[in-house]
Amino acid sequence: MNLGELPMIIFTVFAQMSVGAFITLGVIQTVGSLRHKSATIDRIADPALYAIGPTLVLGLIASMFHMNDVFNVLNVFRGWESSWLSREIIFGMLFAGFGFLFAVMQWFKWGTPLLRRIVAGITALVGIGLVYVMSMIYYSLPTVPAWATWYTPVSFALTTILLGSLAVGMAFVTTTMFRRHLLERDGKFFGAKVAPEKADHVQVNELMASSLRWIAVAVIASGGALLVLIPMYLTELAGAGDVGVLSMVPYTGTTMFLRLALIAAGAGLLAIFIYAFAKARTNPRPLAIVVTLAFVLVLVGEMLGRAQFYESMIRIGM
Amino acid sequence: MLGFHFDASVCNGCKACNMACKDKHDLPVGINWRRVVEYTGGSWSMSGNVATPSVFSYYTSIACNHCENPVCVQVCPTTAMTQREDGTVYVDDDKCVGCRYCEWACPYSAPQFNADTGHMTKCDLCADYRDAGQDPACVSACPARALDWGPIEELRAKYGSDNAFEPLPDPSITLPNLTVTPHRDAQPSGLGTGHIANPKEI
Repeated sequence: MNLGELPMIIFTVFAQMSVGAFITLGVIQTVGSLRHKSATIDRIADPALYAIGPTLVLGLIASMFHMNDVFNVLNVFRGWESSWLSREIIFGMLFAGFGFLFAVMQWFKWGTPLLRRIVAGITALVGIGLVYVMSMIYYSLPTVPAWATWYTPVSFALTTILLGSLAVGMAFVTTTMFRRHLLERDGKFFGAKVAPEKADHVQVNELMASSLRWIAVAVIASGGALLVLIPMYLTELAGAGDVGVLSMVPYTGTTMFLRLALIAAGAGLLAIFIYAFAKARTNPRPLAIVVTLAFVLVLVGEMLGRAQFYESMIRIGM
Repeated sequence: MLGFHFDASVCNGCKACNMACKDKHDLPVGINWRRVVEYTGGSWSMSGNVATPSVFSYYTSIACNHCENPVCVQVCPTTAMTQREDGTVYVDDDKCVGCRYCEWACPYSAPQFNADTGHMTKCDLCADYRDAGQDPACVSACPARALDWGPIEELRAKYGSDNAFEPLPDPSITLPNLTVTPHRDAQPSGLGTGHIANPKEI
């Protein structure tokens, strides 16, 4: 594994996960609002929302280690007219800024729900822009055949969906387990003696169960797509001359086996289990374990995949 | 626009250009603004019981081509990679952040990373020598007079407009300000049957 590119691996994977999680929460808010009160949705969505911030900040800090002279780091915006790298940093900052604004508005309930929804919509659009711009950094290099292909934006988008939705799923089950733990410590049965703010816990459970089922569907679909698209991509590389063949080397051996196994287990088997067992009345403990496990497996798989991606950097020429 | 000329038909791979450049710019181990690439290959043909080998090996001395379409300048996030009025491309040390994106973009390996300063470095066609009316160090050093430099229009009028053979990359990517005289065994860019024999020296 290429440890020299670890900052970039952490940055790209975590930033994409943050964008995916924000969009997943937006979809849950929008679709959920058809059947549930907005306070119910906020109760389940807000803890996940606040978890995105640290994730994104962690990614941004990691990206700083990619700069070899941090004293000149403020110069990285200057090249925005021609450099996708400048644009990436600008979009990263914008996404972090709008995301932070939305989180603060949501925390203090500033503005009308409509205004908050507009800010969230802008944040989501900037997030999609961020993933696009990120992929263009690599896609736009004609000197690296392994990167200048459709696979770069497509695989970045799939990482966004896979990790974003699973991260939200994990945040949901973690919140549930935490609440349950608090209730047990107060000597109350889960749901038996209902505290005022837990009045709609049945609704919360229902919303969470249906969210988890849809998350499972998204994960199975994008994980499945990845399992089909990786061989397609490698077939193309194999036909791209000597440089293409050399670029394929990281996509072989133990790393490749491990990565495919992790996708199949995390985004396949466990996701199917989540879909089948996410019911409002299910005991949340096994579900929480399975969701967490699926998240960890897919996260490791995607980090491995990103390591392969950076290692496949074989340039044409000399 | 200034550029280089390289004559592969007279280069014997002695690396005097490489050494003169390192000496002039006091470059540390591992950084070579000018490099000499050895390209080699071959096969044999059978005629009855007689195998006739046809093998080749030739050298390409290459620095920065101060391209007309400098991809390193375009990808640079800090604008440290800049093109001067005379077409030469240089790194502004006060701006470079050391992200190495230019290194990914350049198919000639012209921008090279200096781990001690954390910045990129590259050939500036010996700007100080030129200001003093001298030739760039590599051009003066070549015992076979395989190197020349000057305004690219003059070089093209003098040597023709060939600018690639193996292992040089497809010139349409960066439009290099480079003219080359091919070696007699030179193979067309992108259609090579040989390989670079000295990857650790470049």
